[in-house]
Parts: sequence; C-alpha cells; structure tokens
Amino acid sequence: MGAVAPGGAPSVNAWSVEGVVSHVDGFRLGPVDLELAPGRVVAVLGSSGAGKTTLLRTLAGFLPVRAGRIVRDGVDLTDRPPEERGLGYVPQGLGLFPHRTVERNVSYPLEVRGRTDAIARSRELLERFGLAELAHRRPARLSGGELERVALARALAGEPDLVLWDEPWQALDVEARHELGRVLEELRETDRVPVVVVTHDPSLAFSVADSFLVLRAGKVALRGDAATMLAHPSDAFLARFAGFENVYDRASLERGRPGSLAAWLSERAGTDGVAFVRPTPKAVGDPHGAWEGVVRSARPTPEGLAVTVRVDDLSVALRLPPPPTGVVPFVGARVRFDVEEKSVLALGPPASAPRGTLQ
Amino acid sequence: MSRGGAASGRPRWRTGPYWLALQLVLSGSLLLLFLLPIAALFTYAPPQRILAAATNPAVSTALYLTFLASGIAVLAAVVFAIPLGYLLARRAFRGRSVVESVVALPVVVPHLLVGVGLFFLILPGSPLYRFTTAVGLPIYDTIWGVVLVMVFVSAPYTVLAADLSFRAVDGRVLEAARSLGAGPATAFLTVTFPLALRGIVAGLLLTWARAVSEIGGILILAYAVYPGGPYSGPVTSTLSVYVYNLFQTGDLADAAAVSSLFLLIAFVLFFLVRLGERTGWVPWRRGELLP
Repeated sequence: MGAVAPGGAPSVNAWSVEGVVSHVDGFRLGPVDLELAPGRVVAVLGSSGAGKTTLLRTLAGFLPVRAGRIVRDGVDLTDRPPEERGLGYVPQGLGLFPHRTVERNVSYPLEVRGRTDAIARSRELLERFGLAELAHRRPARLSGGELERVALARALAGEPDLVLWDEPWQALDVEARHELGRVLEELRETDRVPVVVVTHDPSLAFSVADSFLVLRAGKVALRGDAATMLAHPSDAFLARFAGFENVYDRASLERGRPGSLAAWLSERAGTDGVAFVRPTPKAVGDPHGAWEGVVRSARPTPEGLAVTVRVDDLSVALRLPPPPTGVVPFVGARVRFDVEEKSVLALGPPASAPRGTLQ
Repeated sequence: MSRGGAASGRPRWRTGPYWLALQLVLSGSLLLLFLLPIAALFTYAPPQRILAAATNPAVSTALYLTFLASGIAVLAAVVFAIPLGYLLARRAFRGRSVVESVVALPVVVPHLLVGVGLFFLILPGSPLYRFTTAVGLPIYDTIWGVVLVMVFVSAPYTVLAADLSFRAVDGRVLEAARSLGAGPATAFLTVTFPLALRGIVAGLLLTWARAVSEIGGILILAYAVYPGGPYSGPVTSTLSVYVYNLFQTGDLADAAAVSSLFLLIAFVLFFLVRLGERTGWVPWRRGELLP
C-alpha cells in the first residue's frame, strides 16, 4: 500500500472490475462489474453453483479472464499472475499450511518477499488477533475460530491491497462467528483494506457488508446496499435470504381453486412467484381472519412461537406471541389469520425495480 | 423386561470374544508366516557363525557392493522418478494411462524376464552396447549392470509414491501460497515439496528395499561383478547372488549365516528410522511412514 500509480499521483487503492467474464468446466461467469475502495466490504451472495467461488478465483488470478478488465488505480492487473496482485486470499477451507506453525503461516507472505522482519511482524499480528499463545502450534491442533483468525492474520501479513475471503463462517459456532464479525469490522475501520467476502449466511452478511453482489447461474442478479437487498429480493433465494419465510413459486399457486389463499397470492405473484413475511394471527379461532389453516407444528423460539399451518395445499409459517401471554395452539387446531396486502412481494426479474450501484 | 435385561440381550458380536479371536487368529497367522522363516534362518545360523560371516572379507565386499549399487539406484530414483511422479500428478496429457501402465510394468513382470530383456538390449554390437562402451559405462558384469536392473525394478515405487503424494497436496493450500506472493517455483519449494516429502521418502525407502533384495535380473546381467566405475574392489557379486551361490553349492549353514547377517542389518536400519521418528529428526511423524 502507499505505492505510487503511474502519473505520479499517490495510490488510493481503488479497484474496478469491468465486465469480467470467466469460464470453468463449461460454466460461464459474468459479466461482473464491481467497484472496490478502502474500507468497503462487499458480500457476494448466491446459492451453491451460482459462481461465487469462481468470481473470487478469477479476481485472484487462478482462472483466466475471457473478457473485461481488472484495474487497480489505473493499472491493468487482468493478466498478472496471482502473486503480483497484492492479495490476501482466504480460500474455502482456509488453505493453511499444515507443515508450518501458526507463526510461520502468518510470516509466509513476508518470507517469500525476503523480508527480514517476517517473524517479528508475524508476532505482532498474532498478538493483535489474540493468537500469541498458539504461535508454535500446528494448524491441526487449533479450533475452527482460531483457524479463521490465523488465516486472516496470514492474509493481512503481506499488507494486501485487497482481501478475498471465501465462506469465512463455515462451520463456526455462535461465539466464534461473533468474534469474526468483530475482526472484520476492525479490518474495515483500521486496516482500510477493501474486502470481498463470499457467503451464504444472511445474518453476518447484513452485519458486515456495505454492499451486496448477488449471483445467479453465473450472472449478476442484483447489486446494491442492504436496503436494496431487503426491499427488492428478486427471486426466491434472495427472499429467503432477506428473511421472508413464506416463499412460493408460481406453479404451486396456480393450482389453488378460486377464492383460496393460493389464488389470492397468485394474483399478486411476479414471474418467479410471491413472498410474504410472517403474518401474525389475532388469536386462535378469531372468526374475523380471512384465511383458515390447520396447525401442523409449533415450537418455541426467542421471538415467540413458530407455528406452521396448512391452508389447502400451502404451508404457511406464522408467529404467535410467546406463552403464557399468547395462546398455545395444539397440532390439529384451526387458526384464522390475515395477510397484509403490503407485506406481499412479487418475485421476478425486477425490470423497473430500482437498483443500487455498488460503490 | 427391565432395561438392563434388554441391554444384555442385545447381540454383542461387534466387541464380542469370537470376533476378537477371529482377528487374532487371522492376523497372527500372517505374522507367523513372516517370522517363522526368519526364525528358521537363525536356528541354522548360531551367533558365532554370523560373526564369522560378518568378518569374512568376501561377505563384506558383497555387502559393500550391494549397498553401493542400491544407494546409486535410490539416487537415480530421486533424480528421475520424482519428476515423473510430479508430471503424472499435475499434468493432464494424452496417453497418460499408457504412461501409467508402463510405470506399473516393472512391478508385475517377473524379474528374470527383465534381465533377459536388458541382456538382449546390451548384446555386443547393439547400439546401446556401442554407446555405453564408448562413454566408459560397460554394463555386463559391472556395478552398472546391477544398478540398471535395480533401477528398473525399484524406481516405480518412487514414481507411484511421488504421484500419490503430489496429488494429495491440497490445491487450495497451493493457491493460498500463490496469492500470498509466492511464484510457482517458491510455492513448489515451500509448500508442495515439503508436504509431499513424507510420502516420497516412504517411496524411496521401498525403492531401496526392493533394490537391495533384487536377484532375478542381476543373475543374468551381472552374475559376477568386476571392478569398474564406482566399484574398485575384487571380483564379487551382490549379496543376494552370493547367498544363492552358497545355497547352490550346498553350503547351507553359511547361506543361513549371511542371510541372518543381512536381516540384522536391515532390522537395525529400520529400527533407526523408528528411532528417528521418536526423536523427531526425520521429516515425518511416528507411524506415518512405515506401518
């Protein structure tokens, strides 16, 4: 960092990914556009096989760019090998060196650059990430959360211009996730390194990301900030990601007979179907609710009773106030409820829906 | 029925005594098969005879030749077999399965045939004969003949071990190294090779063991070994041929003594490897290299 870009202007470390296309085993990714700047965290979302890891490996230089450019401060990095891109890449599974101690994992980026202070710098980073006591252990003897922190410390050791992180929260317990969220926050505030993070964990994506890039079958389905993500989930995957519990595709709704809930939803569905947030019934047996269903299951959660009811062919998730203030429905009971018109969302390619630009 | 009754009524064959007995009988039989011939050798070779064999200059010359030739064969495996293993592990190319079959060939072909094949290859007048004599590396009845047969029969073990070991190196670990600033050569030296080393050393050890115990091809190509190349002692033969000769001439007790001596040396060597694992001056951990 702090290098000087051609023309003598000090580097600001602004990255732009312009219409990048890449192929792997018959899969086509892109075109993808991205703007990255110091202190920005971009979350790349999408279901399995959407191309998230392919995007990261393309940015890292492990897959050839078939079209488009990757530019940093006016310098074209498109055809540079991985080692010349100034990266901190944390691959899926972390890719820690099993034959090196924690300390020498973290010192690696400095060692390969011939830095004599490699070990000293490694110690500093381990101290910062609370890993000092583990310095002489091998990765095989560390917990999941510790491994994540070692991988991040190693990625930062070479003072990268960009951090790429694939599925950082996989297989972590709640506490370790919380700790990692804190570390990412610090990365944004202190190190000011742009971060591209691949995940399919909604809660952490929303807690750390400034902007989102959603991939579907290799194409960019949506770009924007959290508000855009929540307000305009364009497909069933995003709707579930954004916390919509009741998501239906068109086909299942069109089978509903006239006057049914399915038919009512069908009128409001987009090309990909419909989604609505959980309705809250007034009370079990309230005769004024528009729809009636039979309780299939009920379990207590921190936000109240999560109840699933069956309405004709549709399964609907409801939320009841927690007992004892609320009523406890039993399986087989009939529950009436309403669905608010404004909580129903049409899913489908949002031809005219506003799209945020990723900064 | 009480809960305790239900539990004790459950079939217990998984950890039951019959299963354990079967395991003991089956594995014990194999261990006996390994141990009994060795025990028989030692009963025919009392300690003083083994000592006599050890101090017999003819025996130590044969031992020296055997270790020298097998050492050169292992070096050849390091130089030629490891790159081939890497090629097989990392490159996709046409005719790959043909190459893999060729590598497996020396393992499955009877070694007497290997000797006969090599014999025809270096018949006086053949291009290879003219070439080897011109560059001063005569093969027939020299240490080079021994080395040639040894490399032929033993190098595949290193090729296969290197192939498997390079293949087992996690590609994502390698990608991490590259992205962190290591060029291809640095990444190979700091990550790929150290991670594959343990398996490769295991392959080299097998190569050495196979080379040392070779006799079939050597009987044909270098029955007697005349001084030349790195070997400058008196006319001798490899230890395997030496024991074979003793046995053929009816000198059973001496054959047993020399065999026992060799077994002791092999045992000490493998014991040293184990000791190395214990004290940690080998690049692998206990139990990872030898069964």
